[in-house]
Amino acid sequence: MKNEDALVVRNLICGYGDKEIIKSISFFIKRGEFIGIVGANGCGKTTLLRALIGLLPIQDGVIEIYGNNIDQMSRKELSRKVALVPQMMEPVRGFTVSEMIMLGRTPYFERFSFETEDDHNVKRWVIKELKMEDMADVPVTNLSGGEFQRVAIARALAQEPRLMLLDEPISHLDIRYQVKILKLLRKIRQTRTVIATFHDLNMAARFCQRLILMKNGNIIAAGKPDEVLSRENIWKAYRIKAEVRTNPKTKHAKLVLLP
Amino acid sequence: MKINKQTKALLILITVLIVACLASLFIGSVWVSPSENTGSTIIWEIRMPRVVLSALVGVLLATSGVILQGILRNPLADPYILGVSSGAGIGAAIALALPFGFVILGISSIPLFAFIFALIAVTVVYRLAHVKGRAAPETLILAGVAVAAFASAVLSLIIIVSGRLQAIYFWLLGSLSLSSWNDVWNLLPYTIFGLAVAYFFSKELNALLLGEEIALTLGVEVEKIRIGLILVASLMTAAAVSVSGLIGFVGLIIPHFVRIIIGPNHRWLVPFSALGGAVLLVVADTLARTLFSPMEVPIGVIMSLVGAPFFLYILRTRTQGGRR
Repeated sequence: MKNEDALVVRNLICGYGDKEIIKSISFFIKRGEFIGIVGANGCGKTTLLRALIGLLPIQDGVIEIYGNNIDQMSRKELSRKVALVPQMMEPVRGFTVSEMIMLGRTPYFERFSFETEDDHNVKRWVIKELKMEDMADVPVTNLSGGEFQRVAIARALAQEPRLMLLDEPISHLDIRYQVKILKLLRKIRQTRTVIATFHDLNMAARFCQRLILMKNGNIIAAGKPDEVLSRENIWKAYRIKAEVRTNPKTKHAKLVLLP
Repeated sequence: MKINKQTKALLILITVLIVACLASLFIGSVWVSPSENTGSTIIWEIRMPRVVLSALVGVLLATSGVILQGILRNPLADPYILGVSSGAGIGAAIALALPFGFVILGISSIPLFAFIFALIAVTVVYRLAHVKGRAAPETLILAGVAVAAFASAVLSLIIIVSGRLQAIYFWLLGSLSLSSWNDVWNLLPYTIFGLAVAYFFSKELNALLLGEEIALTLGVEVEKIRIGLILVASLMTAAAVSVSGLIGFVGLIIPHFVRIIIGPNHRWLVPFSALGGAVLLVVADTLARTLFSPMEVPIGVIMSLVGAPFFLYILRTRTQGGRR
């Protein structure tokens, strides 16, 4: 076991019931990386994320998070190491932003007590870190989609996870919030490891250090964005003819659709 | 700051409860002043246990409603609407109809039977409503209605076959008219136990506000907690039903108002609903005793007269783009 590995997945097979969605995949992720998982609808991105946080039973293979096999961890232990920001989270009517973030401290609550000073400190730190001081007392139902997504991330961050999983964190946001969220994730990865699924390949290429490209429950390419986003890979994964150029200013890979 | 506001509200509610209890003690078909001798007997041996008992039943039913709503993620859940009360009713009626009573492990046959049948009812409703692991709120209610209808037919059968029509029927309509201190002592342990469980599991109920999956990722053992808390809610309902018969809608009305005033945080929702339930039943029972004095209206009838329209109102606001 290498010390710098945040996540090791070996020969993972899982799915729903008898159906295999993830078909024996292996990969590893180093600490402090920001990884993008991409691929067409139904390729198994979300299923993979769900498996990584123990929402799906593993049919075969191993998932190790910071050296610990997740099959041997209790839900509580796992919830202190990994947090998930789901694709759609419903704002709880009647809760303020601050109360919503406090829900992220649930893994640390003891049976016969409530929030401790420690929990309040973490909550304040998250609010400060995400520059949410102004909206701390705003009811979550009053927020726009983009603002609420930041709250959802803040809630996950309050778990103090080593590994953050995000399922399509920018899919339903306008471009301003897309950039805002991605910059936030880039900042978060300085202290923890981030894995997110994306539909927007250009955004993923621009902000992630490595991409994992999936198709039908398999990994068909993994590595630096400009390696993964080749003409052939795009064709294999999406059946789309595209040309990969380089953004002249940022030197990032950029996809251009061909007629 | 926040805590202060809620503590203040809690103190106000406690005061309201005390005032309601005191008022209820002195209002009745016989107007008594505390100085008279017969008056003090009426107050201490007849009205006092009745007031305390109605408060306890209110706590049990309202708390049971909060638990069921939280665990089923459905603001319309209530022990009466879900058929849990009717199930408990069958059990209690069977125990009442038996020519003998017995005590097992300190629990007498009536609450024991009520508990067993409440569990059967809630299991059936839960199974009926869950299709592929999910239950739409409305499906759950429909399943509850079906089970309650079935249960009331069974109850009628029991009443007719047992030949104790009068006794069981009046108990069934919901009445606290035969309360004694004995009932109070019997009910107290269930109330304290259930309330404590609801309060200390309020963290899990809060996590469930985010949905089952997120609750799992927050370390909540959703399935275990759901089974455990449904057991506790059924036990509380059964305890209430075995002393007071079927009193509906308390668990629906009270948490709804508390949520509007104090928010959805179960840490406050549980104690506030418990107190609110106590106030509501003390007031309702006073009305039951005095409205058509010297005749008594069953308290269950009063609660249904108020509760059923209220249920329809919530159902309507929900379907009109309310929260789902």
